[in-house]
Amino acid sequence: MTALVQAQGLARSFGGGWLHRPPVQALRGVDLTVARGEALGVVGESGSGKSTLGRLLLGLLPPSAGTVRFDGQDVGAASRAEWRRLRQRMQIVFQDPFGSLDPRRRVGPQILDGIAIHGLMPPAERGDRLAALLAQVGLDPAHAVRFPHEFSGGQRQRIGIARALATGPEFLVADEPVSALDVSIQAQVMALLADLRRQLGLALLFISHDLPVVRQLCDRVVVLYLGRVMEEGPAEAVFRAPAHPYTRALLSATPRLDPRRRLPRIPLPGEPPSPANPPSGCVFRTRCPQAAADCAAAVPALQPVGAAHRVACLRAAEAA
Amino acid sequence: MIWAAQRLAVSLLLVWCVASIVFLAIHLVPGDPAELLLSSGGVAPDPAAVAELRERLGLDRPLLDQYVAFLAGLPRGDLGASLVDDYPVLDEILLRLPRTLELIGAGALLAVLIGIPAGTRAALHRGGAFDRFASALAALLLAVPVFVVGTLLVLVFAQMLRWMPAGGYVPLAQDPGRHLLLLSLPALAIGKGLVAVVFRMTRTAVLDMLARDHVRTARAKGLPPGRILRRHVVRNALTPVLTVLALQMGSLLGGTVLVEYVFNWPGLSTPLLRAVEARDYPMVVGIVLVISALFVLLNLVMDLIYALLDPRVRRA
Amino acid sequence: MRRLWLPGGLVLLVVLVALAAPLLGLPDPIRQDVARRLAGPMPGSPLGRDEFGRDVLSRLVWGARASLTVAFASAAIACVVGTLLGLLGGWFRGLGEFFAVRSMDVLLCFPPVLLALLVVTLLGPGSGTLILVLAALYLPGFVRVTWAEVLSARSHDYVEAVRALGAPTHRILLRTVLPNIAGPVLVQLSLAVASAVVLESGLSFLGLGVVPPEPSWGLMIRGARGTMAQAPLLLLWPCLALSLTILAMNLLCDALRDAADPRTAPAAPPRWVDRLLPGLLPPPRADAVLSMQGLTIEIVTPRGTIRPVEDVSLSVRAGETLAVVGESGSGKSLTALAAMGLLPPAARPVAGAAWFQGRDLLRLEEAEHRRLRGSAIAMVFQDPMSSLNPVHRIGDQVAEAIRAHQPLSARAARARAVDLLRRTGIADPDRRARAFPHELSGGMRQRVMIAMAIANRPALLIADEPTTALDVTVQAQILDLLAGLQRETGMALVFITHNLGVVAEIADRVTVLYAGQVVEEGTVAEVFGAPLHPYTAALLAAVPEGDGMAAGIPGTVPPPQDLPPGCRFAPRCPHAAPACDAPQLLAERAGRAVRCTRADELALAA
Repeated sequence: MTALVQAQGLARSFGGGWLHRPPVQALRGVDLTVARGEALGVVGESGSGKSTLGRLLLGLLPPSAGTVRFDGQDVGAASRAEWRRLRQRMQIVFQDPFGSLDPRRRVGPQILDGIAIHGLMPPAERGDRLAALLAQVGLDPAHAVRFPHEFSGGQRQRIGIARALATGPEFLVADEPVSALDVSIQAQVMALLADLRRQLGLALLFISHDLPVVRQLCDRVVVLYLGRVMEEGPAEAVFRAPAHPYTRALLSATPRLDPRRRLPRIPLPGEPPSPANPPSGCVFRTRCPQAAADCAAAVPALQPVGAAHRVACLRAAEAA
Repeated sequence: MIWAAQRLAVSLLLVWCVASIVFLAIHLVPGDPAELLLSSGGVAPDPAAVAELRERLGLDRPLLDQYVAFLAGLPRGDLGASLVDDYPVLDEILLRLPRTLELIGAGALLAVLIGIPAGTRAALHRGGAFDRFASALAALLLAVPVFVVGTLLVLVFAQMLRWMPAGGYVPLAQDPGRHLLLLSLPALAIGKGLVAVVFRMTRTAVLDMLARDHVRTARAKGLPPGRILRRHVVRNALTPVLTVLALQMGSLLGGTVLVEYVFNWPGLSTPLLRAVEARDYPMVVGIVLVISALFVLLNLVMDLIYALLDPRVRRA
Repeated sequence: MRRLWLPGGLVLLVVLVALAAPLLGLPDPIRQDVARRLAGPMPGSPLGRDEFGRDVLSRLVWGARASLTVAFASAAIACVVGTLLGLLGGWFRGLGEFFAVRSMDVLLCFPPVLLALLVVTLLGPGSGTLILVLAALYLPGFVRVTWAEVLSARSHDYVEAVRALGAPTHRILLRTVLPNIAGPVLVQLSLAVASAVVLESGLSFLGLGVVPPEPSWGLMIRGARGTMAQAPLLLLWPCLALSLTILAMNLLCDALRDAADPRTAPAAPPRWVDRLLPGLLPPPRADAVLSMQGLTIEIVTPRGTIRPVEDVSLSVRAGETLAVVGESGSGKSLTALAAMGLLPPAARPVAGAAWFQGRDLLRLEEAEHRRLRGSAIAMVFQDPMSSLNPVHRIGDQVAEAIRAHQPLSARAARARAVDLLRRTGIADPDRRARAFPHELSGGMRQRVMIAMAIANRPALLIADEPTTALDVTVQAQILDLLAGLQRETGMALVFITHNLGVVAEIADRVTVLYAGQVVEEGTVAEVFGAPLHPYTAALLAAVPEGDGMAAGIPGTVPPPQDLPPGCRFAPRCPHAAPACDAPQLLAERAGRAVRCTRADELALAA
């Protein structure tokens, strides 16, 4: 597998400026690769910077530092025409099934927006394409003339996916695409995403706070906390043998149906610190059960602990 | 505290902008300002008069000099003198302004005393007889322009019923009873719009608050209804109501002109209207400037009150 | 929508009359006839003549033309320029935004009448001056409305989606943003026109607007004032015309605003009838703290009466945790609110009973119910931010809950409040008690809500999705806190959630709801270990857990106005059979309550 998306030293802060409080550092020093056809899960709680990461990789938000390369091309340095061409190859699916569709337009034209904007197809052929797209996401092609409010949450999410697929992208960012849905509908949409990925060979960046969901779909996982990568590796390895204390705490806090799967709870004291004023050294040290004095000294680098499995923790070896 | 200082700085900046605009306005109009002020009905003014006016207004000096002199005069209260009678503009304003403020204050008092309780009541019994009656009355009051109400009040109470004089003014110290009598009709005319606006805003805000989750929490706590209404509904609804009241009072700072004219109330409108007709530019500029500054000040005070009422504002 | 017709028609009529003024064959509104000064109604002049002997009706019609020309022209100029500035300022941000929006702040410093007078001094009176002044006055309104709307539209995902598709800026602004902000801009336009009519007439009344002898309503009132003693009717006609026009315009504005803002849609009026006698229900379980039987809730909607909750029974004992599980639309929150007596006005319980300490909560007088709320029964809600009052300190809000039911001094209640905050795990409670809700994190706010709920040692705590808005690590903290408090106090806990994992971790018993009905009830171990109802089984299979892919349930929950006649799950059920077309009853099967005729033969457990 070759790298399709490659981010280096990616950082982004918000706010700040004269007379204001310190800027919020949403993301700092993130290196990341998504291979062609790979599903990468990005896991983290609120304030971890996971949504910011998705927008940065798509080039919808300019980074404060670092670069994003898509298929070898620097997204930040792309000319206007190149940037527009890139848009056909990378797309996004949003969390909120109600806010992600224009309430005043019929869904058919909205799905075809990408094709219309880039003039990809003679108008006469677009009807067939629309029907094919709707069928592909499991909706009745006759529904194209309806307005968004006539659909349920799960159906809207399918429409959002159809819109993202219209231009035939190679890379899809799915930002919490199932968090707003009921469990029974959530599983439908997850199955659809898995199918589409197999059929179309899509590379997927799947952003979620829900670890079991990520485990279902993703080949690889990146765990974020307060804008930094704590751990990354094959999903299998990260979930079976989490190497970072934060990953372990997160897994132990996830409620389980099956009592046999339940892990002994590792309670995390307090609340995540403010991203405007993150701790020095390891950002997790203020809540880490294993923190020691040297954790405050320097930002721990990602160290390999297994095949393609890396962790940013000084105590990873002793705890594992 | 930093927030309050910032707001103060912004207010000063706004006053400076306003001063600059009124200063520059006369220079932005095409043609010679002195000629412009003297011309009427397309007749070319006498060149000697133009030259004299130009000198009196200092228009013969470089623009920058004029601007600096104008700004330098402001802190000392030097707003120039009237073109008509050479009377200092500031003295005229200081004499008249309190009478105008008295009218606005009386109107605002009516609005708070009538508008807030009536609005709360209408919201609590939404769709009931009182709500429908008061809402219709408010719509009617808002629709009738203030000078129409004023003129009709004069027609009914002075001309037809002959209960009171058509207008005029007696200082409070001289005859308090007559002062209040003469104040009543103009205050009513001013207050009618304010009462209607405050009524509607209170009704909307209370309805909005009643549907909020925190009111449900208050009920879940088992609080008595009166306490819920005071502490969790009206208290929260006050913020938008006061904002609207302040905005309205601000626009009334100029809007009293019509009422004062109708009732011969010798507030700021008398010199203002005379000055506009006589194109007495320094007098107009002085009044506009002082009132605009008052307006900015009012907004500042309201922002500070707002911050007291709603702790979330202090951070933003 | 119907509210639009009357005022809309009236405004349209005024506009049409004004437009058609030259075609109506009226006398010249300017020609004077001193001989007929102040003449009463006469042939050709139904409303009489004014102080210069001019025809009053003709002047009214032509006056409308003058007023409306000024009003529409100024509002249109302000609308076009202001919307453009607001669009560009809101979209491009940065310096352009600063100048576009801040310069409007400066313009807003001038009281409107004063600004008008300043310009009139410079340019002299006249319709042209008026249009210029009024346009300048209404400009800030349009800039601000558009700007604010663009900022809010920008944050919508559907705008981001079009941007992600690579749409050029002008396409986004025109095709996506503009149509979505058109409502507020239209409202602003109607407001500006109405307000311009008022200002124009006011200035004309002062003699500083429309220049005589051109007719205008303001000028007519000014003229009639002089002769008010002799001819009061002359004053009446223009006053009436002006006030009616403005009234119609204002009503139109209100109707437009309501149409543009769906939040203000009127709710169904409350009805206080149907205090049904308790039906033939089984007696309450002797040891239950809360025993609810056959609860049915009706909501009167414009399109008919719906039953979002039907025949719901549940019970919970002291020290026990009952989980009420269901997806959206299952009626789980309404069930809880009914027990609290906090149902929204449009909803009312029409059948069933809810026994609590020997009393039926559904038939309690409000005053009695209030004494129970917050003392014997307490509730914690889903969104702790909106559930706390933003303007009061949290310590005061907790103290208030204590004093509502205990005769304590303010000081003693405050000390108790700090104590409660400490018990719910808030560090440094003395200082935190003085904080406002927005100064706390989500987890901390939920702890405050819990402190408030346990303030009077309730026998029953109802928690409605208390951890749904929280991160998993914080959720774990809150769940531990609730479990600890329950151990300490022995209270019964009803935990409403959609998260089956949470149920498995904290609950003793579980009641599963689907489309307003209980479908299965039992201990967590039984129900999750061997579900009897196909819905329970499908729901459990949909939870992502092991390595295999979770299976979704096809279709969606039927809406309460469109329920299937028989089993409500049948349209989505893999085991549906003809027998399922009949209404299903909650019945004992294999020692558990389940609402499925085929439960025995299916034996899903096997």
